[in-house]
Amino acid sequence: MTLFELALKNIRRNMKSYSLYIGSTVFSILIYFTFATLKYSEDISGMAETSKQIKGIMGASAFVLMIFVAIFILYSNSFFMKKRKKEVALYSLLGVRKKSIGFLLFFENMVIGLVSLGIGVVLGFLLSRMLLTILLKLMGLDIVAGFAFSMNALINTCIVFFIIFLFTSLMGHRIIYRFKLIDLFHAEKKGENVPKARVITAVLGVASLAIAYYLALQDLTESQVWRVFGLATPIVIIAFTVLGSYLLFHSVLVYVLSALKGNARWAWKGLHMMTASQLLYRIRGNAKTLTLITILSATTITSGGAVFGVYYNAEKNVREYTPYTFMWEGEKQAIDTSIIESEITFYSKMIRVALDKYEMEYVVIDEATFGKLAKDLGWSDIQKLRQNEVFAIDAFFDERWSEKLDSVTINKVEFPVAKFYDKVLFNVETLGGNAIVVPEQLYDEIKSDETLIQAVKVTNYKNQSAVSDRLAASTENFSSATADYKNTIESLGALLFVGSFLGLVFLVATGSIIFFKMMTEAEEDKAKYAILHKIGVSKKDMNRTIRGQVGVIFTVPLVLGLIHGGVALVAVSNMFMMDFLVPVVIWMLAYTMIYAMYYFATVRSFIKTIRRGYLEG
Amino acid sequence: MESLLLVKDVEKKYGKDANTFKALEHISFEIDHGEFVGIMGPSGAGKSTLLNVLATIDTPTTGDIYIGKDNIAKMKEEKLADFRRDHLGFIFQDYNLLDSLTVRENILLPLAIAKIKPEEIAKRVDEIAGTFGISDLLNKYPYQISGGQKQRTAASRALISNPKIIFADEPTGALDSKSATDLLESMSSLNEKHETTIMMVTHDAYAASFCRRILFIKDGRLSKEIFRGSKTRKEFFQMILDELAQMGGDVNDVI
Ligand SMILES: Nc1ncnc2c1ncn2[C@@H]1O[C@H](COP(=O)(O)OP(=O)(O)OP(=O)(O)O)[C@@H](O)[C@H]1O
Ligand SMILES: [Mg+2]
Repeated sequence: MTLFELALKNIRRNMKSYSLYIGSTVFSILIYFTFATLKYSEDISGMAETSKQIKGIMGASAFVLMIFVAIFILYSNSFFMKKRKKEVALYSLLGVRKKSIGFLLFFENMVIGLVSLGIGVVLGFLLSRMLLTILLKLMGLDIVAGFAFSMNALINTCIVFFIIFLFTSLMGHRIIYRFKLIDLFHAEKKGENVPKARVITAVLGVASLAIAYYLALQDLTESQVWRVFGLATPIVIIAFTVLGSYLLFHSVLVYVLSALKGNARWAWKGLHMMTASQLLYRIRGNAKTLTLITILSATTITSGGAVFGVYYNAEKNVREYTPYTFMWEGEKQAIDTSIIESEITFYSKMIRVALDKYEMEYVVIDEATFGKLAKDLGWSDIQKLRQNEVFAIDAFFDERWSEKLDSVTINKVEFPVAKFYDKVLFNVETLGGNAIVVPEQLYDEIKSDETLIQAVKVTNYKNQSAVSDRLAASTENFSSATADYKNTIESLGALLFVGSFLGLVFLVATGSIIFFKMMTEAEEDKAKYAILHKIGVSKKDMNRTIRGQVGVIFTVPLVLGLIHGGVALVAVSNMFMMDFLVPVVIWMLAYTMIYAMYYFATVRSFIKTIRRGYLEG
Repeated sequence: MESLLLVKDVEKKYGKDANTFKALEHISFEIDHGEFVGIMGPSGAGKSTLLNVLATIDTPTTGDIYIGKDNIAKMKEEKLADFRRDHLGFIFQDYNLLDSLTVRENILLPLAIAKIKPEEIAKRVDEIAGTFGISDLLNKYPYQISGGQKQRTAASRALISNPKIIFADEPTGALDSKSATDLLESMSSLNEKHETTIMMVTHDAYAASFCRRILFIKDGRLSKEIFRGSKTRKEFFQMILDELAQMGGDVNDVI
């Protein structure tokens, strides 16, 4: 039997660990290639041309992705090689030359890499089209979905992965020269050396995170930092975040786990010590994976949160200044009655009011009209006007620079303002933000042209473009929530698009990376759980340990990722000067839920693998 | 007195269809409370298989096994786990220690699972580690200790919970004669003082001579049974040697 046949036979026998490794690799390539396709897509870069911010975000994301796939593949590879060490030792023991074994390992790694590259690119091409089409549909954007196969993306992907695979292959080649035979035999049993939990590491970690947060929260327009680093600033921030998270996991996790394991009260109860030592056993790998997941989570939370926040604000802005779907001056127009929610027709006048330094134009309506409009908008604090009183409305009121109207002089008589409203009563585009409400009698006395105004609310206002366009063409002074919403979304199109895409990619990436990692561990841990089964540990206890073991890998990075994402979103919301609080909280909850689903799916598969392991013996 | 372990016509097949291989055939016997039974036979005869089936780690293809009143051949998996935890102890041929736990943690695992108090656990670990001479190794990991030390660790783990029945698969295989004697003597004393029932597979006539009764297995069937009765250990040892010699060709295998 030649060495080659031996290797082939061996691959067939170890299909499980091979397929897990190849799966992880293909997956990384797929994600990276999909993103590269997007990055080099002309439609997107055409849109992105104008915006420095988007270029910065794209560059930073590509960097994060590259780092992520590189680390992930290196780690999967080292895990995979660890399983191979015993076999390598056996060949060596049987007298196969080191040179041949080294070549075999190099060759094997290279072949796996290249095959994965092929599969990954093909799948990536399909996936990118699918993801992009879905995304465009979801967002209702009218960008042509002509995302053709991008040569640049292919070349870029090939170069990046070729380098990674060359590196892993060389590492594989070196294994046989670097280790003593005895180490190779023990490789699988030994576990990773538990590093010392040093205070200095923890301090450095916290310091890195502090720097990253500080940089992230700088004001884009004024900060020296942005001037110095320019578009590289996001990368610097991410680098510090990664470093900080890693150091923190490295120190804190080791400290906590060692302390727990050393505490007999906790550890010697059921399988607690098993959970702790399982996590410690692979601590270096775990610190890396946890960092990776943290960063991925943070990226997902940030991009998703930003996109959702912008949407939310777009909608809120529209609602804030365009409470009626359509409003115009003049006669009623024919609108399909089935979509109309409410419809109000009223008259208004205009007066000029002298303020301290200048005069302002105010729309005047009578109290009955006010009552109708306010009721339609669901205002709760509608008062009755008494004789010689008026209400004032200022939709743009801002304490910092607006003047609060106390009284108005109309026809040379001064009327006190009985109540001041800082909300909109009608679409500001049609009637402006300022209005005065007067009693009927006074209204009649005002000498000014009367205009007839139509205000209509329809159902499903975001999708009434056809109606909106028709009305716009046939009416005066038209304002439309439909058009406003569409304009806002379109002007942010590229940003939203990149954000959603990143969010989606990273969401998938996070889930899969944890899944692959945990499945690889499950394969490794099978034997251990089989022993536990033999000495009479119940299924319930075992499942509890598994849930704990998987749970730590899930929870710890989620918490840190949420914090990172929160800080990043504060930065983003400052950049856009929008209030993100509500959408971000909603998005974080949604993310946590999706993440919880990943957790349950992973635990299920983990338990299944373990059970298969001990039932088959 | 009612028997503790009743084995009725047990058969174990490995593999499927054309490839089936009968590792055990028509095995029936009884073991009473407090017995110390040895199982001997050539390599590949089915000793480990029998022990695994009795120890509920594996299931028989057909047949019944009663421990007390429970038919463990028909018991549900969850109940079996509890049963193992509460009543059985094992020393495996290939040790089955957990690589990620220290020697101490490996030994105390059954007590931890049974939710015994830490103070009590610490006391019992120290005691048993002293008995087996591994007190200095408690903080080491399995890959750092020798095969015999592993075997003693495995024995400590099996005995620490004072189980009703101990199943031992060649517990002295990797031990020097001094450690082997220590282990056998502590098993004997458990058997005598606590009336622990012990079933031990062994190739070694010296180890077998500590038993009260010996079952011989050949090609998956029970072939012979001898009793120590009122003989001394030395006399019994000679008797076993004679028996093995009589079995002829197998002697080389056995000694
Ligand atoms: N999982 C299995 N699948 C198929 N055959 C098996 C399996 N386990 C054991 N056997 C076969 O069953 C027979 C009995 O094996 P067993 O391990 O019980 O032997 P043994 O008497 O313990 O031998 P030794 O003294 O060498 O330990 C052997 O022929 C073995 O090849
Ligand atoms: Mg055996």
